[in-house]
Amino acid sequence: MMQRDVASFAFAPAVKVRLISAGFLTAKDICDLRPTELSKEAGISQQEALEVLQEVRRGPAEQGAAESRLTALELLEREQALGTVITFCSALDQALGGGIPVGKTTEICGAPGVGKTQLCIQLAVDAQIPGCFGGLGGQAVYIDTEGSFLVERVVDVATAAVQHCTLITKDTEQREALQSFTVETVLSQLFLFRCHDYVELLAQTHLLPDFLSQHPKVRLVVIDSIAFPFRHSFEDLSLRTRLLNGLAQQLTQIASQHSVAVVLTNQMTTRIGQNQSMLVPALGESWGHAATQRLILHWEGKHRFASLYKSPSQREATVPYQITPHGFRDVQLPDPSVTPADPSLTPSLNSRKRPRGEEGDPSDA
Amino acid sequence: MDWDQVELNPKVVHAVKRANVKTFREVLSLSGPDLQRLTKLSHADVHHLQKTVAAAVQTDPAVTGIHQKLSLGCPVLDSLLRGGIHLLGIVEIAGESSAGKTQICMQLCLSVQYPRKYGGLEAGAVYICTEDTFPTKRLQQLSSLQHKLRPEDSLNSCISKRVPILLSRGLVRLVVVDSIAALFRCEFEAKDALLRAKHLLAFGATLHSLSHRFKTPIVCVNQVADAVGDFDLVQSNFGLLDKKVLPTLGITWSNQLLIRLMVSRTRFSLQEWLPGLAAQPWHLGSVVRTMEVVFAPHLPQSFCYYTVSIDGVRGVKEEPAS
Repeated sequence: MMQRDVASFAFAPAVKVRLISAGFLTAKDICDLRPTELSKEAGISQQEALEVLQEVRRGPAEQGAAESRLTALELLEREQALGTVITFCSALDQALGGGIPVGKTTEICGAPGVGKTQLCIQLAVDAQIPGCFGGLGGQAVYIDTEGSFLVERVVDVATAAVQHCTLITKDTEQREALQSFTVETVLSQLFLFRCHDYVELLAQTHLLPDFLSQHPKVRLVVIDSIAFPFRHSFEDLSLRTRLLNGLAQQLTQIASQHSVAVVLTNQMTTRIGQNQSMLVPALGESWGHAATQRLILHWEGKHRFASLYKSPSQREATVPYQITPHGFRDVQLPDPSVTPADPSLTPSLNSRKRPRGEEGDPSDA
Repeated sequence: MDWDQVELNPKVVHAVKRANVKTFREVLSLSGPDLQRLTKLSHADVHHLQKTVAAAVQTDPAVTGIHQKLSLGCPVLDSLLRGGIHLLGIVEIAGESSAGKTQICMQLCLSVQYPRKYGGLEAGAVYICTEDTFPTKRLQQLSSLQHKLRPEDSLNSCISKRVPILLSRGLVRLVVVDSIAALFRCEFEAKDALLRAKHLLAFGATLHSLSHRFKTPIVCVNQVADAVGDFDLVQSNFGLLDKKVLPTLGITWSNQLLIRLMVSRTRFSLQEWLPGLAAQPWHLGSVVRTMEVVFAPHLPQSFCYYTVSIDGVRGVKEEPAS
């Protein structure tokens, strides 16, 4: 570790240049000096010297993920322990490998009215389903930029989810968990932020890490939509690309550092081809690389379909879904309100694997 | 931007001003390393600066539970919309000519003046009319303000300058644009699609921000065009495959809407359906129309029937016997 190059540390470029031209090439050259000595030798301020020394002296375990050693097996176990947020549509959950993955960013694209906000509201409720029912028992953050978050709809979806859990309750642990899973608690554990333009959205993203540190039970962050504030008032498209890239990086970092699933919704726009036009996700080509997973919701005739377009671990797949008064659901299975007493027919929460580690849910603070 | 609003070390504020970073927006739009380079501040200082500015920008509004809604003036239509029109967001009413769009809008201009307990907002309305035929006779019954505009630039200046003044005085709690299609369809040809999209987006954003700033519903009337072949199906594919007409202005405009309603005439007259109801003198000769919810975050796709008569737009609860 002592042989590490000065240039590879995360210092400001000006500081790096000064250090290197003063002859400090590796960490070993620096770490034994005092701040005043370093600042005099390299021509940097006292405070900068202090920061440099702090960074260099930090042990490898603290120096960020690039330095810490982690085997692939440990990484796999860690990922599986994080869990997923189910969508309540079992076909989609299966295609996604269990649900929306925690620790990663997922993008949901679709034309207006196809169900993006519906899915987001469903996820915000599902993130709160208690662990003994196969959920994460966490809280949710919802950042609304379009004004399409309507509380009455959340009440509908939450009521249906609570009712579903009530119907499949079998043992005392589940009965106890139900005491704290009601429509009121769902609403109170859903933190809503409204951003009216892109500056407010940037601001909210800066404030998010602190908020998540103060609320460690949050397992889901939804931004609905990320397209709306960025699609107007940008004369300079390169500025827009830069801001979007920065935002994507911040969100990816937030997702993995705070173990939350980040869900972004995007709009569709028309791309004019040679003799036809097609609907493509908005925000440009480079935005396509931003999220880890991409889900596209679309119509085919009168039916709605969800296509998994991009995923590092799952196969591409297209599954049908529908929006009912209860929320986001499968198409083949009958509506839960019609068959109340037959839990085996409903998208089963119990068959979801329980979070790894019987000693407890990682989300328990 | 007011630097006194934020609590920052004077040294930091000085460094930022010297780096020619003038607004909060710039502070947040630059990345950490870029800011460090420009202001020569340390990493910790820049981090703290961005967080403090972010806290000042993001003034979290109090989120209350149930929004109040603006009634349409008819209980049947209100129940289709689960109470009425939301106070935030843009609602579009699309349909062919003489389907009743203007009638519905004028009825809204009336109901916005009702006391709150009757579903109104106790204020007036701004009715922006962009088409030539304006039913002035009808309007004599209403005490709302109206403006008649021709070129689209006037529409922009009206929306961005005159309407906010009226809204900020609290006199007006409803804005109706009748119709938005007229301006954007003729002015731009197909090859100017990009330019048209840009204008539409900017216009939609202005309306949107007005709606949220003043908690005022915005209703836009749109026209419909024939659905011709595959081109239109891709463009406006909202599961409306069985429709022969689709709202104009494409997906760019559709992305801005909170709720889309479509109205159309049926081939039934009220006399055929409900002879009892039709016997009332003011209902004579009424054609039954449908109002359909195409998309809304809180409503399923559904529809109801209504008629237009002397006393206004009235929903019809009963279904036809045949």
